[in-house]
Amino acid sequence: MAQEKLYLKGDKLLDISNYEFKSIKNALRIGREKTIKKVKDSGLKGRGGAGFPTGIKWEMAAEVEGKEKYVVCNADEGEPGTFKDRYLLEERPLKVLEGIMLAAYAVGADKAYIYIRGEYSKSIEIFSEIIETAREKKILDANLFDSDFKLELKLIRGAGAYVCGDETSLINSIEGKRGRSRIKPPYPIEKGLFKQPTVVNNVESLCCAAEVLNPDSEEFSELGIKGSKGTKLLCLSGDLNKPGLYEVEFAQITLAEIIYDLGGGIKGNEDLRFVIPGGISTAVIKAEDLDFPYSYQAFEKRGSSLGSGAVIAVSKKHDLIDLMLNVSRFYMDETCGTCFPCREGNRQINKILNAFKEEDRKIETELISDIGNTIRLAARCGLGQSSLNFITSVIENYGKELKFGGKIYA
Amino acid sequence: MDKLKSLFYQDSLLEKLHQIQITYGYIPEAEIENLSEKYQLARANVYGVISFYSMFYTEPTGKYIIRICDSISCHLNESDSVLRAVKSYLGLKSHQTTEDKKFTLEVVECLGHCGEGPVMMVNNKIFTKINKNKALEILNDCM
Amino acid sequence: MLRAEIDGLNIELEEKISILDAAKKANINIPTLCYEDGLSIYGGCRLCVVEVEGEDLLKPACATEIEEGMKIKTHSKKVRDLRKNLFELIIATHNIDCQLNCLTCSRASNCELKDIAEDIGLSKMRLDPIKRGDSVDNSSYAVIREPEKCISCNRCIRKCEEVQGIGIFTTANRGPETVVTTFKDRGMGNVECTNCGQCILSCPTGALHELYQKESVLDILNDETKHVVVQTAPAVRVAISEPFSNQAGDISTGQLVTALKRLGFDAVFDTNFAADLTIMEEGTELIDRINNDGKLPLFTSCSPGWIKFIEHFYPEYLDNLSSAKSPQQMFGAVAKSYYAKEAGIDSDKIVVVSIMPCTAKKFEAKREEMAGDVDYVLTTRELASIIKSAGIDFLNLEESEYDELLGVSSGAADIFGTTGGVMEAALRTATELITGEELGKIEFEAVRGLEGIKKAEVEIGGLKLRAAVANGLGNARKVMEMIKDGEEFDFIEFMACPGGCMGGGGQPISSDKNVLEKRQQAIYKIDKSKKMRKSHENPYIKKLYDNYLEKPGSEIAHKLLHTKYKARKI
Ligand SMILES: Cc1cc2nc3c(=O)[nH]c(=O)nc-3n(C[C@H](O)[C@H](O)[C@H](O)COP(=O)(O)O)c2cc1C
Ligand code: SF4
Ligand code: SF4
Ligand code: SF4
Ligand code: SF4
Ligand code: FES
Ligand code: FES
Repeated sequence: MAQEKLYLKGDKLLDISNYEFKSIKNALRIGREKTIKKVKDSGLKGRGGAGFPTGIKWEMAAEVEGKEKYVVCNADEGEPGTFKDRYLLEERPLKVLEGIMLAAYAVGADKAYIYIRGEYSKSIEIFSEIIETAREKKILDANLFDSDFKLELKLIRGAGAYVCGDETSLINSIEGKRGRSRIKPPYPIEKGLFKQPTVVNNVESLCCAAEVLNPDSEEFSELGIKGSKGTKLLCLSGDLNKPGLYEVEFAQITLAEIIYDLGGGIKGNEDLRFVIPGGISTAVIKAEDLDFPYSYQAFEKRGSSLGSGAVIAVSKKHDLIDLMLNVSRFYMDETCGTCFPCREGNRQINKILNAFKEEDRKIETELISDIGNTIRLAARCGLGQSSLNFITSVIENYGKELKFGGKIYA
Repeated sequence: MDKLKSLFYQDSLLEKLHQIQITYGYIPEAEIENLSEKYQLARANVYGVISFYSMFYTEPTGKYIIRICDSISCHLNESDSVLRAVKSYLGLKSHQTTEDKKFTLEVVECLGHCGEGPVMMVNNKIFTKINKNKALEILNDCM
Repeated sequence: MLRAEIDGLNIELEEKISILDAAKKANINIPTLCYEDGLSIYGGCRLCVVEVEGEDLLKPACATEIEEGMKIKTHSKKVRDLRKNLFELIIATHNIDCQLNCLTCSRASNCELKDIAEDIGLSKMRLDPIKRGDSVDNSSYAVIREPEKCISCNRCIRKCEEVQGIGIFTTANRGPETVVTTFKDRGMGNVECTNCGQCILSCPTGALHELYQKESVLDILNDETKHVVVQTAPAVRVAISEPFSNQAGDISTGQLVTALKRLGFDAVFDTNFAADLTIMEEGTELIDRINNDGKLPLFTSCSPGWIKFIEHFYPEYLDNLSSAKSPQQMFGAVAKSYYAKEAGIDSDKIVVVSIMPCTAKKFEAKREEMAGDVDYVLTTRELASIIKSAGIDFLNLEESEYDELLGVSSGAADIFGTTGGVMEAALRTATELITGEELGKIEFEAVRGLEGIKKAEVEIGGLKLRAAVANGLGNARKVMEMIKDGEEFDFIEFMACPGGCMGGGGQPISSDKNVLEKRQQAIYKIDKSKKMRKSHENPYIKKLYDNYLEKPGSEIAHKLLHTKYKARKI
C-alpha cells in the first residue's frame, strides 16, 4: 500500500510564539550564497505549474541590480481542482511566512507581497493575523534575530480573476491594473513589480524551500529522483472515494496507486475513464495508462504535465461533451481578453461545442484543430497557450466515441 | 520627495477597492472619482480595472452574494443540479440580484474546496458537500 | 553591431530594435493590427507573429526585440496558415454578416481589415459572425461609435490616453465580455471627451467616425428657399485631394472652390477671411491685456477641442482664454449679419456650412453660447465623399476663386492650419501695430515645425513677449502644468490636434508616415506665395470694420465675435 510522506502536511502551525523559524535562522547563519546553493542543489522546481527551478530563479534574481527588489508569494490558487495552497495558508501559514522570508533573504529583497485570491477569506484572515503578530514580535519590519536582514510584507487580496495567477498578471494586479499578462521578455526577474527585479514563487514552492533549509529535515532534498525532487502535495478530487489533500514523495508512487490507494478508487462502482493529472490545463491520461511513477518527466513523456497537483479522476458516467464544455467555459470566461487568439479562439471553441451539444451536428475537427493551434502558438500567456490541452487530448483519445473525425494537431 | 519613496508604501488600488466594496457593498461613482483623482488615472481607467474583477461591483448587490462553484471537480459531483435548483428557487440567472436586493447569484469557478464539492459560498462563508436540499436550506437560513 | 537573419536575408543592425522594425528595414511587410507608430506596444492582435528558429511558439514581431543570431521567418507556411486562422477569428467578431455592411461603412474605401485580408491571402471564412447586439453610441455631437465593428485593438485607447492625455476609453470586463468602451458605458457625449477625433484617425475599422451631416447638407442644397454659403478652413485645401490621389502635400484650393460651386453652394467663402478677423480681435485683446494689466498669459481660443479640454480639466484658467470666437464661428456670425446686409438677403434664409479638418467643430457649432452662427459642419473626409458621390473628377477640375466679400485672406490666415500658425500670424500683426514699422523678416522660425511644445521670446518694440505653442492635448496639459508650477508666459497658442488643424480628426486618414510634414510644407508654401501676408493688410477686413464693425474690440464686434466659456465637470 502506497504511503504518504509528510513534510509540508502536518499539525497546525499558527502560533508564532512556539514557532522556531529554524530554516531562516539556518539561512542567516550560512549566508545568502549557501542558501541559494542549497536550494539549487535540492533540485526544487516551482510548484505553481511551470516547474522552473527555484534555486536558479533565486540565483538570477540575486545577481540582478535593482533600486529595490521584491519577492511575491503567489497565493492566487485558482486552477480548478487545486486547494493545496489554501491548506498551507490556513493550517501552516508560519511555514509560508518563513518561505517568503527565505526567498527575500536569498535574493536580497527587503520588501515582499503575498497575493491571496479574494475568495479565500479564511486564508486572508489567518494570514493577516500572522503578519500582524510577526510585526509585533519583530519578525517582520525589524532586523531579524540580530541580523542585518529586515523584511516588510504586505498582503494583497485578489478580486476574482483566475488569470491573475500568472505571475505577470499578478504583478499588474498588485500595481492596481487590469490583471492582464505582460509581454515577456522582460521577465519579472529583470523588470517586475514597479519595474523592479521581482521573484514570484508559489506558496508550496516556498514551503518546500523552507523544508530544504530546515536542519530537522535534511533528508528532504534527497527525496525523489533526479529531475523530480522532494515531495508534492496532491489535490485529489472528482469521482473518488477518498478525495482530499495528500503528500507524496516524487517517483515513489504511481498514478494508479494515487487513484486507487490514496484516493480509495472510484465512487459508486463506476469505472474510471481518465485522470486529469494536473488541473484542467493538462492533457488527460487514460485509465489504462496509469501505471507509472509520479514525476515531472513521466508526465512530460506522456505529453501532459503534473501542473498544479490537481489530480482529478473522471469516471465513465459523464458526458464528454459536457465536460469539454465545462472546461471551455472556464477558459472563455477567464481569459483576460487582451490577445485575440485566446479571447476569440476560446469563444469560438465554446460556440462549436455548444452547437454540437444542442444540434448533435458533426464537428469540424479541422476547425477545432486550426483554432487550437492558433491559440497555442500565438497566445500571449500561459492561459491561452494551454487552454486547449484538455479538450484536444479528449478529442484525440475519445474522438471516435464522440463522432469526431480527423486528427488534432496534424 | 514623494516620488522617491518606494511605491511599496503607496496604498494599493486593489486594496482600496476592496475597502470601498466592504463599506458600501459596491463601488459608488463618487468613490471612483476620488480614486481617479488620488491615483491620477482617468476615471474610465479605474472603471476598466473594477470591471475586470468579478468580485467588484459598480451597482449595489444583494445582501447575500451566493457563489456556487461549477468548475470541473464540483461539476463532476453534480454542482449543475444544485445550480438549477438555486436558480429556479431564486428566479435568478448568474450575475443577477433579486428584486428585494436580498440575493445576488454568481456561478463561479473553483473555490478551492474541490475535494469537498459541490461548494457554495454565502458572502465570506464556505459550505461544502452541498446538494440541492442543503443549498435551499442555507438560503432559507439567510431569510 | 548585431547580426540576424530574416527570411534568409542577412541583416546588420546598429542597435536592438523590434523584429517588425528590422523587417521593415529589409523591405519585408509584416501585417499588423494593434500596432501603431507613435503609440505604446500592445501585443494583442498577434497578427504580426513570426517564427524564430529554435522556438516552438511564435513571437509577436512588434513586441519582440531582435537578438544576435536570431533566424526569423516572417512568412513561413506555419506563420501564414496561422495568420489566416487568426484573421478568421477576428473577422467573426467584427460582425460583417454580408458585404453590404462594408459598402455602407465609413471605411469602405480605406479599411485596414480589408487590406490585411488581401495581404495575408484570406480565402475562406468558416466561422459565423458573433453578434453582440451593441447599439451605436450616438450620444456625441462629434464622434460616433459603432461597437459592433470594434475589434478591441486598443488603438483609440492608447491614442486618447498617450497622445491626447485624456483617457476617454478603457477596456472593460474580462473574457468574452471584454469590450472597449467609455466610463460606465456612458457614451462619448456624456463624458469628458474633447471631440478632437484623434481616436478616429487611429481606428483601423469603421467603429469610430464623425457624426455625419452629409445628407442634411445635400438636402439643404436642394432647398431653393435657402441661400447656402460655405466656408473652408485653412487646413482643408492641403488635404482634400488625398482621398482622390492617395498622395499627401498637394495644394488644391482652386479645385476645392470649383467643386463646392459645382455642388451648388450659393457662395463659396473662406474661413481664412475669418482667421484674419480673429487676429484683429485677438491681437487687440492681447495688446489690451498687456497694456492694462489684464489676465496673462492669454490663451488662444480657436481650437474647440482645446476649449472643451480646458473647461473640463483646468476650469480655473478660463479667464486666460481669449474671448474671441474661433474663425468658424466668427465667419458664421459675420455671414448672417454683415454679408446678409451687404448682399441684401434675409439672414433667416442664410444657411452656413463649414468644411473643417476637425470633428470638434461639429460640437462647437452646437454650443449654446453661439448657436445659430453655423448650421452644418462637414469634415474634410465628408466633403471628399460628397464630391465622389456627385461624380466630380476632383483632380482634373479647373481652378476658381473664392467669392470676394468673405473670401479674400492673407498668408497669415493660411498658416492657421498648422501648429504655430496662429502665433505667427498674431506676431506679424501685433509687431507692426505696436511698433508702427514694417516687419523685416516675416517668418517667425522659432514657432514653426512639428515639435509638441515650442517656446520663444519675441521682441516687439522694446517689449519682450514670452510665447509658447502647444499642439496635441497631451502637450497642452504639459504646458498647463508648467504654468501651475510657476513658469511665466504672455501668450500661448493651444491646438488640440497633433500638428494643429492640418492633423485634425476630420482629415483624410493617411497611410503616409510623413503626412503632417507634407501638409505643413504645403501650408507654408501657400503663405509664401501670397503678396498679402499680414491679417491687418487684408482690404476686406478693413472694409468690414469700416462699414460694419467699427473697430477691433468695439461693442458690436464683441456682440458678434466674442463668447464665453463654462466650467465642465469630469
Ligand atoms: C493562467 C495562469 C495561472 C497561474 N496560476 C497560478 C497560481 O494560481 N499559483 C501559482 O503559484 N502559480 C500560478 N501560475 C504560474 C505563475 O505564472 C508562476 O510561474 C509561478 O507563480 C512561479 O512560482 P514557482 O516558480 O514557485 O512555481 C499560473 C500561470 C498561468 C499562466
Ligand atoms: S493568452 Fe489569454 S489570458 Fe493570456 S494574455 Fe492572451 S487573452 Fe489574456
Ligand atoms: S471596417 Fe469592417 S465593415 Fe468597415 S469596410 Fe472594413 S471590414 Fe467592412
Ligand atoms: S475625440 Fe479626442 S478626446 Fe474624445 S475620445 Fe477621441 S481622442 Fe479622446
Ligand atoms: S474603436 Fe477602433 S481603435 Fe478603438 S479598439 Fe475598437 S477597433 Fe480599435
Ligand atoms: S472545483 Fe469547485 S471548489 Fe474547486
Ligand atoms: S501588431 Fe503585433 S501583436 Fe498586434
